[in-house]
Amino acid sequence: MSSTNTLMVLQKRRRRSLLRFLLLLALGAGLWLTLQYLNVRLERFATLFDRLGTLLATRYYPPDFEYIMRPRFLQSVLETIHMALLATLAGLLLAIPLAWLAAFNASPLPGVGKSAARVFITGARAIHEMIWAIVFIMVLGFGVLPGVLALTLGCIGFAGKLFVEEIESIDDAPVEAMRAAGAGPLAVFFFGVLPQVRTAFIGIGIYTWDVVFRSATVVGFFGAGGMGWYLRRTADQLQSDRVAAIILLIAALVVVSEVISHHARTALEGRTGQRVLAR
Amino acid sequence: MSAAQAMPGSNPAALARWRQARRRGHMAVLAVTSLLLALSVWAVQGSVIPGTDWRRMGGFAEVVTGFGRFLPPDPTLLPTLFEPAVQTILIAIIGTLLGAVMSLPVAVLGAANLRPLGMPGYLLARGLMTMSRSIHEIVWALIFVSAVGLGAFAGILALACRSVGFVSKLLAEAIERIDMRPVEAMKAQGARPLDMVRHAIVPQLLPIGLGTLIFEWDINVNRAAVLGLVGAGGLGLTFHNQLIASNYAGVTTVLLTILAIILVGEAISVRLRRRLV
Repeated sequence: MSSTNTLMVLQKRRRRSLLRFLLLLALGAGLWLTLQYLNVRLERFATLFDRLGTLLATRYYPPDFEYIMRPRFLQSVLETIHMALLATLAGLLLAIPLAWLAAFNASPLPGVGKSAARVFITGARAIHEMIWAIVFIMVLGFGVLPGVLALTLGCIGFAGKLFVEEIESIDDAPVEAMRAAGAGPLAVFFFGVLPQVRTAFIGIGIYTWDVVFRSATVVGFFGAGGMGWYLRRTADQLQSDRVAAIILLIAALVVVSEVISHHARTALEGRTGQRVLAR
Repeated sequence: MSAAQAMPGSNPAALARWRQARRRGHMAVLAVTSLLLALSVWAVQGSVIPGTDWRRMGGFAEVVTGFGRFLPPDPTLLPTLFEPAVQTILIAIIGTLLGAVMSLPVAVLGAANLRPLGMPGYLLARGLMTMSRSIHEIVWALIFVSAVGLGAFAGILALACRSVGFVSKLLAEAIERIDMRPVEAMKAQGARPLDMVRHAIVPQLLPIGLGTLIFEWDINVNRAAVLGLVGAGGLGLTFHNQLIASNYAGVTTVLLTILAIILVGEAISVRLRRRLV
């Protein structure tokens, strides 16, 4: 009895390990075929670090810090901050009503309005803000406004989804109580929904600022305003030392902005005693 | 909850305190609102008004006709979109996988409770995480296009480097939260270190790691679609070609294709992650 049991266990184990082996083999073959299809030459991978090393050491180093201190460049940095600021504010202001429309438990228009808001938020998310920027440039011409609009859409896509998730996880009892008492949809939103999500919304808003600012540093790459344009120009002219300086500046600005927003979020958590953001 | 708290009206002192708190709240909201308003005015006057080509834009009617040119989408383009779409998806998959492989050592180095190489290794790993996240995928692609030339390879490397930050950060947090009891139990039984990793640590990290990867893949499809603009192939290249040809209807078709891919990818990733948890 026990020997047949052992036999069965062994057999099962062997079968499973065979299955696992075949799966790994199939994965490996798939990977190889994919790399062939995409025309990736793995032999280049061996020399990659070498080439990247020499490239960084000879062309990107030393960074041309003098370039990023020029007044015209600094003006574009300020422009970047302006764009991120406007896009975050406009995006958050638009994302809140959209999220309200899109949330299944609180939507004032559960039919068409909910679906339309969902499609809008998902569409804004699905398309990269860089592509939005190009689309807006095609209509509005080069400049700051298309950049702000593209970033606003990106902000709506990013914050909108988090807002919807937040609204959908509220306690429905106050909402239902207000509805039963005959409150209108606006009253329900302002006094039933908003107090429950206010802290989380502020936290998400601060987090969104980080994301939008990061995008704003490069959204000008195709001519949508801000410092991205200088990145494009120096990269096209192979002025790698200037590219290096710009990249380092972007990294520094992002870190500063992240430190500030981290402090703001911790302060918010300390004041309200609520966990502001799960992620 | 005390009665005074529930009904401020029943206690004059509590009512006064409640009114004061309320007034302070209103003042704070007013202050923040006016600050944000002032910042917006500053931004509009400082950048938007001087920095936009208002003459090129023209009037409201011209803007509306400008957007109108994108409609309706051009369905004849669809058959030619299949191959770039497959390329974009594959670039995203391989880039995410490579990013995951690169994230493992970074996460181990950057886990506050392990620090296998001490403080320098920890700081290096944390620095890499920040660098990876703060450099935009377009910039990563530029760097790699100059290193390995145009093509999917540069896109894969760019996505991998862009993914390391997020994946390794979450993985490091998961390592910091590991439950050490199974490890100690195995140690007490005399297990070999490798077996301890295999049976006590990996099972704790696998669900979080895989969930993060699927989430990152989802985002990487979105990013892969844009990398073609700087020479990494895929749908971005098709988009670029339609753009250069001023085929507005074709641009809409490409956008809708990207949207469809993202929607399907999101549905798959939600289902996979739900199964993991």
